[in-house]
Amino acid sequence: MEIIIQSLFNGILMGCIYALIALGLSIIFGVMNVVNFAHGNFVMLSMYFSFWVSSLWGIDVVLTPLITFPLLFIIGMLIYYGMIDRTLREHYTIQIAVTVGLMTFLGAITQLAWQARPRAISYSFIQGNIQFGGYTIALSRLISAIISLIIIISISFFLSKTWPGRSIRATSDDSDAASLMGVDFRRTYALAFGLGSSLTAIAGGLLMTFQQVDPTMGLRFGLLSWCILALAGLGSIPGLLISGLIIGVGESLTMSFWDPRARSLVIYLIFILVLWLRPRGIFGRK
Amino acid sequence: MNRKKNRNIENFLLLFLLIMALLVPLILGANQYNILLVTTVLLYGVMATSWNIIGGLAGQLDLASFAYLGLGAFTSGTLFIRFNFTPWIGMILGGLVAAGFALLIGIPLFRFQIREVWYALTTCALVEILKVVFNMWEEVGGPVERYLPYFRGSLYHMRFSSYVPYYYIMLGILLIALLVNSRIARSKLGYYLKALGEDETAAEVLGVNTRACKLRALVYYSFLIGVTGAVYANMYGYVHPSFFNGQESIKIAILGIVGGRGITYGPLLAALLLVGTQEFLRASLGGEVSGLYLVIYSIILILVVLFRPSGIATLFQSGYQKLATGEVKKKSVI
Repeated sequence: MEIIIQSLFNGILMGCIYALIALGLSIIFGVMNVVNFAHGNFVMLSMYFSFWVSSLWGIDVVLTPLITFPLLFIIGMLIYYGMIDRTLREHYTIQIAVTVGLMTFLGAITQLAWQARPRAISYSFIQGNIQFGGYTIALSRLISAIISLIIIISISFFLSKTWPGRSIRATSDDSDAASLMGVDFRRTYALAFGLGSSLTAIAGGLLMTFQQVDPTMGLRFGLLSWCILALAGLGSIPGLLISGLIIGVGESLTMSFWDPRARSLVIYLIFILVLWLRPRGIFGRK
Repeated sequence: MNRKKNRNIENFLLLFLLIMALLVPLILGANQYNILLVTTVLLYGVMATSWNIIGGLAGQLDLASFAYLGLGAFTSGTLFIRFNFTPWIGMILGGLVAAGFALLIGIPLFRFQIREVWYALTTCALVEILKVVFNMWEEVGGPVERYLPYFRGSLYHMRFSSYVPYYYIMLGILLIALLVNSRIARSKLGYYLKALGEDETAAEVLGVNTRACKLRALVYYSFLIGVTGAVYANMYGYVHPSFFNGQESIKIAILGIVGGRGITYGPLLAALLLVGTQEFLRASLGGEVSGLYLVIYSIILILVVLFRPSGIATLFQSGYQKLATGEVKKKSVI
């Protein structure tokens, strides 16, 4: 019983961060219908950037997103204008191929720059544990989950209350109508791609507080965020959060009750089943 | 008249290339390492050529090639280790198991209309699933390599002390894969596949049974790769769950796209150029720059996709057309 509650806690906390990662992907895929295979590698890249910034300048790793967020935003915009923009009208294989190339590139670059060894941060001021009625919760995970929730809520406000956010939503609903209403769709696309990429900077900084990073993580995070997206469908942020929690809890229960090796197995099986049974996701709007 | 002349040159070129390919082990001589490298290049050529059926002609971005390779390798390898079963039949069985698995996955996949990105992601997840399953399945896989029994040159066991026989076996499979590819491309199935690869809904409206066509393409593709997997296991002398390699599967798709989707010789050309360069770099630079060739790979992929989406084979095609007919066609036929 105690193990169940303990792993439920861990799963829920992890799920919040997963939802944050998937939110970035959801903005990119929802707005311009471009399949971003490289999203997981952006997470990995952000983790490395956080590691770098924190170990070079001695900034605490929780605060590194202050630097990596704008950095990833600019990288995302540049990638949009340099690569994605040219393939918008091509066959979807070509669109996927470009992001697959990007994914391989980012993975290889990190391998060159930081070698294959896993890297971890030795100290962060949110380390330590909280005792809570017999259960132990890692403070870093708890605070990371809370920050993720805050970010998700503020993104949701950004999308519904501000002009750029509304133009993102309008373009995702109907890009032709939106451009008739005076929304520059290319700028919106670039904004969406930048925002989607920069959200991984926050997630990467948070993940770095309790996890290590190695160059093979990208594919796993990429598939993971696509799983959450498939589960949630497009256009619903609460749905995304719930799906993130489902995946996080599923992963953590599998790890404690079956076999740590099977953690990805369960996620991918959920993913395939959902695709077969509910192609629009459980909470999908379109 | 022109076409006949064209045909003659084509036949002559093919014959020349074949003889060159047959002579490669003689040229490389006694250096086993070089022959292993060349055989690896051929292996990627076979896989990319087979991928062309589903990925190039049918336009389905399949990222599961190493899943079928692993299934073929494990089928033949396990039969060999457990029952002393000859890999020559084992490789057919390996192909059948891979094709059967592909059918098992393909029927619901196409039944539930899983297309485009979702197809790519499902197949990508498939490799990872199989890797975990074989890692946990102690009777067949497990985390430790299972070595094939050692024989110093036994035809029955397909075990040789030199890599040269594997080279010729791989070359044979490559020729079969190319033949299957060009036959399909010129058949009714090939035209259906091209149609649905361009626009699936339109093909369906025109009366193409897209589900059956895609399934057939998937079966051809997985069977060829399953057969290759058996040879792969024998060549390296062991089977291991790391054969299910997601990253390498993506690389196969990269080769197919860079070479030119739907062009029979395109993926082979890309494999010869890219994997050849990669193996050369690895041999000359060593392990210290393990990520470097991937950087080059991905940059080439991005450049080709951005500036020549029809693939590098079309560059050669237009050059060859000029050579053969003395005139340049405006648009090369794919």
